[in-house]
Amino acid sequence: MGFLSIDLGTILFTLINTLILFFGIKHFLFQPVNKILEERRQAVDKTMQDAEDARTRAEQAEAEYAEKLADAKEESAEILRNATRKAQRRSDEIVTQAKEEAAGILQQNRDELEREMRRAESQLRSEVAELAVLAAEKVVEREINPEDHARLIDEFIDSVGDVQ
Amino acid sequence: MAIMAIPAFLQGSTDLNVSGPNIIASFEIFGITIRFTETIVLEWIVMAVILGLCVFLTRNLKVNGVSKRQVIAEMAVEAITNLVRDTMGKSWLGFTPYIATIFCFSIFGSLLSLTGLRAVTSDFSVLATWAAITFILITATKIRFGGVGGYLKGFLDPIPVMLPINILSEVATPVAMALRHFGNIAGGSIIMGLVYFGLTGLSHLVKLQIPILTIGIPAVLSLYFDLFSDFMQAFIFIMLTMVFISNAAPPEDETQTA
Repeated sequence: MGFLSIDLGTILFTLINTLILFFGIKHFLFQPVNKILEERRQAVDKTMQDAEDARTRAEQAEAEYAEKLADAKEESAEILRNATRKAQRRSDEIVTQAKEEAAGILQQNRDELEREMRRAESQLRSEVAELAVLAAEKVVEREINPEDHARLIDEFIDSVGDVQ
Repeated sequence: MAIMAIPAFLQGSTDLNVSGPNIIASFEIFGITIRFTETIVLEWIVMAVILGLCVFLTRNLKVNGVSKRQVIAEMAVEAITNLVRDTMGKSWLGFTPYIATIFCFSIFGSLLSLTGLRAVTSDFSVLATWAAITFILITATKIRFGGVGGYLKGFLDPIPVMLPINILSEVATPVAMALRHFGNIAGGSIIMGLVYFGLTGLSHLVKLQIPILTIGIPAVLSLYFDLFSDFMQAFIFIMLTMVFISNAAPPEDETQTA
């Protein structure tokens, strides 16, 4: 065949061969490699997305914890305030009670003292009367009637009271 | 003259013949003679090598922990994809496998000459086929974006007198592409044949029975005529294909606003 010749058979077969090679290269090289490249790209995207998600979650958790911490602080302050108030009330109650008790005891003592005084007074009165009667009997050596008796005692007591 | 017989493969290049591919068989279909030439068998060898390489490189692909093979495969695919994206634009990425096909076919077909076989690309019919495909793609792109009327009207631009020149330039595009590639590879193989033949003759001239001069010296020239030229022509061919096809369409920003 001539050096520079165009041959229909060669063109036909070359066309077929080129098409076969085209589909071969497409199927055996480009499709698998592009598939892998795409998969890798997706994997990288997924990793980035995951990292972003994790960061968002961490930020959310942080905010949540900060909120909880603030709540806890407030709660503890509230508890402390309540306890202080309760203790204050309780101490006030105790003091009031003690005061009342003390006042009661004082009153009781006072009453008792008065009663004692009164009893002592009446006892004194009767003893003085008896003494006076005895003294008078001895002086007059005679029985005086009860009316005079009583009058004399009263006069005596009154005079003693005046002296006091 | 020769006292001892020198084996044929040590005699060097004793004759120089510049010819096209041999015809292996020919048959007739519908009265048309179809020749089955050497080139087709060589194409099969090239295709087997390329497809074998593809299958080998893409075996056992992984997303993580990639092997060296996979790195090569990914680099090759990304390199050609980036080339197409940079030259043609993002919307033309579908052409990538075709561009890769022509590039591989051209390079491996040209490098076949290093094994002593004929280069596939030193058969003009092969380049004519690829140039015809490019021409069809250019025309199809023009019709796709401008319609048949727009395509035909384009021949009258800028003035109707330009019609013959426009037709000529339209046809010249693929013809020039095919001839450039063919000329470089075929010319290179002729020059290399001449170099071997000349050095053999020179060896005999200085009374060397075995053409020792053909060792080493042709390798330097082969670096240019085989390696460099092969890569260059394959690259030029795909670049021209990409540029012509993408130029057949209106600029990208115009297609977006239209």
